[in-house]
Amino acid sequence: MTAPSRGPRLRRALTAYTLIAPAMLATTVFLLVPMALSAYWSLTRYNGITPPTWVGLHNYVALFHDPRFLQALRNTVVFVLLGMTIGPGLGLCAALLLNERVKGRAFYRTAIFLPVTTSLVVVAIVWKMLLNDQGIVNAVLSFFGLHGHAWLADTKTALFAVVIVSVWQGLGFEAVVFLAALQSVPQALYDSARVDGAGSWRRFLHVTLPALRPTMLFVFVIGIIGSFQVFDQVFVMTQGGPVGSTDTVVYYLIDRFQALQLGRASAVAYILLLILATLSAIQFRLFEERTP
Amino acid sequence: MNPGGHRLRRTVVCAALIAGAVVMLGPFLWTLATAFKPAADVFASPPKWIPHPFTLQGYRDVLALPFPRYLLNSAIVSISIVTLNVVFATAAAYAFAKLRFPGRRLLFFVLLLTLMVPFQVNLIPLYRIMIDLHNISPLIGANTYFGLIAPSAAQVFGIFLMRQFIASIPDAILESARLDGASELRILRSIVFPIAGPAIATLAIFTFVTAWNDFLWPLIVTNTDSMRTLPVGLAMLSRKNTMNWSATMAGAVITVIPMLAVFAVLQRRFVEGLTAGAVKGTG
Repeated sequence: MTAPSRGPRLRRALTAYTLIAPAMLATTVFLLVPMALSAYWSLTRYNGITPPTWVGLHNYVALFHDPRFLQALRNTVVFVLLGMTIGPGLGLCAALLLNERVKGRAFYRTAIFLPVTTSLVVVAIVWKMLLNDQGIVNAVLSFFGLHGHAWLADTKTALFAVVIVSVWQGLGFEAVVFLAALQSVPQALYDSARVDGAGSWRRFLHVTLPALRPTMLFVFVIGIIGSFQVFDQVFVMTQGGPVGSTDTVVYYLIDRFQALQLGRASAVAYILLLILATLSAIQFRLFEERTP
Repeated sequence: MNPGGHRLRRTVVCAALIAGAVVMLGPFLWTLATAFKPAADVFASPPKWIPHPFTLQGYRDVLALPFPRYLLNSAIVSISIVTLNVVFATAAAYAFAKLRFPGRRLLFFVLLLTLMVPFQVNLIPLYRIMIDLHNISPLIGANTYFGLIAPSAAQVFGIFLMRQFIASIPDAILESARLDGASELRILRSIVFPIAGPAIATLAIFTFVTAWNDFLWPLIVTNTDSMRTLPVGLAMLSRKNTMNWSATMAGAVITVIPMLAVFAVLQRRFVEGLTAGAVKGTG
């Protein structure tokens, strides 16, 4: 055998560059260049027609003095907090139920997963009909003797209704991910806890929950990143209303974009990026510390 | 163990599961029922679960709109995006996993960083680029299939997914093919692709679902009815005539049916595909 000469190695490197070329080209043109452009535009006043004029950090400062942006930011934070409490909570409950040995488990798992495969636009339109003041939700409530409500027309309930619809859509994802994690907890851990005399509640607290920690991190990271970008539901169900009560960061961004305030819209996008990057970093740090 | 407590627990579990199934499936059944109702019956009291009289008027209404066109557009765009991603992601993943070349670690790190960036950061300049491309040629850029497909043609997530899988293919198999004189392209085609079948299926399903259901980018990049995809067409319909619920629900059924059909056939793979990231997160 002779040592590999320069020829094949060079040829192999060239092949490698050819193989990654389409992906690298697409990433550069459709991701890196736009990222750099919007970073620059966020520091300018720009309407997309006349050349951008440099304004420094003005867009960022102006945003934090704009009551509409602040409300959109507040709404988004409420949406994320509510959704990320109810969603994973219900998802874990559903996973525990699906983990029981009962007939028709596959059917229930399919039922809960169905909305995950469905377009958010469809889900939002359907729920807009269900939540109509003459809709089926109110009909069911009145059947149980409860008062109906114009859920999407009331500033006090509209955002909550959007949260519920989003939770309904994503629940199957959380349930299936938690279920997979539950099933991978070694049975030996439960057995030895039982030998130590731990009841089912203590086994859940001291065996199940710690074992689920990495999965929870995953669900929270994915969930928070996704729900901070909430848009489709708002666009379809409420258009940000009534009176701005469901305005969100991305809905506001698109609104500024369509008003041709591209500099302002780009600044919103970078604030979003900053928030998401910070949150992910904090979450990883928190979960790392608690994991022995 | 006391058998009474055991039975009680079982009853509670079953009741909760049935209640859950009603909440999850009810909206689908109600959508289906509404799509076959005359407009006057949509909000009838008490609610009618069985459409009576039964009518196809809702479907006639949406078929008269360019809904068949939206369906065609959605199919063209989703299938193209899936095909391109499978090819490009597998090719790039093979290079990153199994070939040595200068800049490998740096380029991969750059890709890793872009995973963190929300789409909204690129959205506006991307639209601007598409407008400029359209001025160069009316076949590319904004309001074309190119504009709908190209930005999603080689998604970084797919490269990660495939790289993880391809890295687990033993080097010895590839090395012996090389000694037999096979080129890297040939190895990719006749060894890596077949072995990576399950991972490719996962990637294809994940990509198909996201492409079929994608809303924000198709909403921004299209501006005529002839280029709209199903979710965009449906959202426009729901904002335009909020009164015609049976037509809107017929549109919803048309949008959901193809996805449910694929789901029914490939159920296990489907769940794996959509939760693919979980493996990475917990691994």
